[in-house]
Amino acid sequence: MSDYPVLTVTTFLPLAGALLLFFASARFARWIALAVSLATIAISAPLYTDFDKGSSALQFVESVDWIPDWNLVYGMGVDGISIPFIALATLLTVLCVGVSWVAVKTRVREFYAALLVAETAMIGLFAATNLFVFFVFWELIVIPIFLLIGVWGGPRRVYSAMKFLLFTLAGSVLMLVGLITLYTTCDTLDFRELAKAAIDPDHQVWLFAAFLAAFAVKVPMIPVHTWLPDAHTEAPTAGSVILAGVLLKMGAYGFLRISLPILPEGAAFFVEPMLVLSVVAIVYGAYMTLAQTDIKRLIAYSSVGHMGFVTLGIFTLKQGGVEGAILQMINHGIVSAALFLCVGMIYERTHTREIKDYGGVARTAPVYCVFLTLFCLAAAGFPGLNSFVGEFLVVQGAFATENWLGAMAIWGVALGTVYMVWLYYRVVMGKLNPGLEGMKLELGVREVVTLAPLAILAVCLGVYPELVLSYLHEPVKALLGVAP
Amino acid sequence: MNGPSVADLGLLIPELILTGMALVLILVARRAQGTALPVVGTVMAAVGAAVAAWWVLSSEPQSAFAGLITIDGYAQFFKVLVAAALALVALLSVKGLEGKGVPRSEYHVLLLLASTGMMLTVSAVDMVTFYLGLELITLCSYILVGITVDRPKSNEAAIKYFLLASFASALMLFGISLTYGLTGTTSFSGVAAAIAERGLADHPLQLAALALIASGLAFKIAAVPFHAWAPDAYQGASTPVAAFLASGSKAAGLAAVGRVGLIAFGADAPALSTILVGLAALSVALGSVLALAQTEMKRLLAYSSIAHVGYALMGLIAGTPEGASATMTYAFFYVFMTLGTFGVVIGLGARGATVDGYQGLAAQRPGLAAVMLLFLLALTGIPLTSGFVAKFIVISSAVGAGYVVLAVLAVVCSVVSAFVYMRIAVLMYMKDPEAPMPARLPVALCVALAVAVIVTLVGGVLPGLVTPWAVAP
Repeated sequence: MSDYPVLTVTTFLPLAGALLLFFASARFARWIALAVSLATIAISAPLYTDFDKGSSALQFVESVDWIPDWNLVYGMGVDGISIPFIALATLLTVLCVGVSWVAVKTRVREFYAALLVAETAMIGLFAATNLFVFFVFWELIVIPIFLLIGVWGGPRRVYSAMKFLLFTLAGSVLMLVGLITLYTTCDTLDFRELAKAAIDPDHQVWLFAAFLAAFAVKVPMIPVHTWLPDAHTEAPTAGSVILAGVLLKMGAYGFLRISLPILPEGAAFFVEPMLVLSVVAIVYGAYMTLAQTDIKRLIAYSSVGHMGFVTLGIFTLKQGGVEGAILQMINHGIVSAALFLCVGMIYERTHTREIKDYGGVARTAPVYCVFLTLFCLAAAGFPGLNSFVGEFLVVQGAFATENWLGAMAIWGVALGTVYMVWLYYRVVMGKLNPGLEGMKLELGVREVVTLAPLAILAVCLGVYPELVLSYLHEPVKALLGVAP
Repeated sequence: MNGPSVADLGLLIPELILTGMALVLILVARRAQGTALPVVGTVMAAVGAAVAAWWVLSSEPQSAFAGLITIDGYAQFFKVLVAAALALVALLSVKGLEGKGVPRSEYHVLLLLASTGMMLTVSAVDMVTFYLGLELITLCSYILVGITVDRPKSNEAAIKYFLLASFASALMLFGISLTYGLTGTTSFSGVAAAIAERGLADHPLQLAALALIASGLAFKIAAVPFHAWAPDAYQGASTPVAAFLASGSKAAGLAAVGRVGLIAFGADAPALSTILVGLAALSVALGSVLALAQTEMKRLLAYSSIAHVGYALMGLIAGTPEGASATMTYAFFYVFMTLGTFGVVIGLGARGATVDGYQGLAAQRPGLAAVMLLFLLALTGIPLTSGFVAKFIVISSAVGAGYVVLAVLAVVCSVVSAFVYMRIAVLMYMKDPEAPMPARLPVALCVALAVAVIVTLVGGVLPGLVTPWAVAP
């Protein structure tokens, strides 16, 4: 064990960096952001080296009385479920800095400050061991993302930013009522103590509904997903990456951290509707992608479908299903982030996201297309690449629950192949679109370095998923031990 | 109970400091008109009063003047808050009254006297001193609202405010007289004892008295349905006066509601709770929804203050000391965040008066825009600002008392109000500026803003620094 509070330092280092940015010259802003985000990874190293995978207990626990009068505690700690998410959040922030290096030209300092505040919120959320701390970070991330979309986004950015803000707040205030109800009945907000508390089953149903409101918006589940296509599409590349890569995972993580362990009876009551909504999301999301003409919008709808797999896996309440769901979250975080990075990089050159404006990109940008091929195949669930394993586990869990659920999920996988390959075909293959004539589409070194980590991860996790799964076995066992 | 003694005056040091400064300013009014003396004097008096309220009197609770007033933790807390509001408003007035032709000395005298009234109100434990304190606030406020005599809007607002407020005072006085008739006493504890002893809690006249007093107080704090004066008065008054009405007056009014509710009519809990639930629910809902339609900042902030009073009242519904301290905390944080917002409005001058004026501010004055964003987030109730902590505890208190539906209404309305406040953030950050660059802020205003920012941030991160002082009567 290291001799500093790893989680607190990791969480608040980016925030300190954001404050530093306000006093720095705009010329150095991106360098500072890069240094801070890299330092965050370095300083979080003990989380990976000193972590005991054989235990489901919380590790690196920190606990300080925050507001003693109200018995509120600042609690941090991680188990195997949190670790991969923290890794994902810290990695994606660095890549966001990389992809924004030249793309962001206005209000540079504010941009990187918002990005770093978002990183703090992401890490803090996954490290919280206490519902109050969880909620603080849950709300904290909304503001930087709101600004990222609204200030540096596309033409309809204001509408999308406001929609994102109102949807997320509407969900989270109901969680606040749920949180306060738990607080007044149990007089604690610690996850472990709440899981032990005997909460009246009728209350649990209501509480589950209150938390569901918040989580369903973030995941997003049908029918509260409509903010997502707008927000993803209008956000700047870094915003899309954070949204797709991490923000969507927060809702599903909430199910794992709060809904299942603390409200098992409530979860049991809602299992069937949740499963149905999940497969609806898978199939509906897949069909919606087929109708999109905007690349970012297409990827956004594919996220709806992919997150459907996540909730499907979680609510199978089976070891394989839940592990698959978590793996799917990480994989989706890698692949959708990578796809948004790819789109952002080419958008910088062509300033269009319409699929019809592309075609034959392979002829001028072979390296770019290698990456795009890899990520499209990964998104389509190609065996040997990362998404395959997660989807496989989820589908297996779905078949073990109900055959028709598995069948619907397979249908979604099949459609996923169709839309990814079709997108790939329209963008990469064929004759070069005359509109792209003379443009220099090939990636530079900085962009290759930005994409490379995700490409390596996509392959590694496809070949050796135990890299993540080994973290999950024990905590998921413990989680399902108390779940119904 | 003994008669008043000279020693009792010692308990009124904060009030005496303020009144003394008011007298000095009246005496030198003519000479001080163009100088910084009124502002400096007011701020010094406010700081002195706060220190006096905090240290000199920080002993056991004691009552004075034959049980007309008391000095306890509750009174001290609100006295410090009132003094802080006074100091900040005085600092805001430096720029806020520029070129308005306001006689500076008289203006500050009125601020000082109104604050004296607030301090009396929060320490009153007798209907008579209670009423006197409230009337002192209101009388000074009438004049303050109408002090820019050459603006017709200001005169109109003052007359409207005067007529409605006199009516409300009459109602309250009638309620007090009914209570006196039934119980034979005017002291809060005497009233409570008589109600309990003689089983008056369900007496129709007693219920009428409670309703009348509650209406009068609801008027003072501008809770729906007694709010109609606020938007007009805020709009007509000069901005620092509006800030004063929204901060100090509200805090004193809430303190009054808290003490009367908890001490005098505590035995009437069910009826009082029903009234408070109604006031809170209506204020939160209407305040948030009506703010949506506003294009003028002062009107918007008036509706915002109406909604916030609704939230603050939620703490008192439970009728418990914990609930009352939740309301105290709410009032404390609310005063600073709303004064901060008014400070930015004043700092932008004519441009700050309309919502559209904030367009592109972040590009022109990033620091000021960030400060405004902080206050807007606090007013919305986003974590790590004091606004969240305040909302969290009052809603906890309501949920603890079993009013979950009210809590849901309150949080849903906070989403509506998020739209109101974030619309300004959108204008500041996401639109290009059209108006010319605003002028630099004067030092006094910067100091006031800095204080408000510090309280809002530190209160949001470490509310434990404030909460131990918020002890119910």
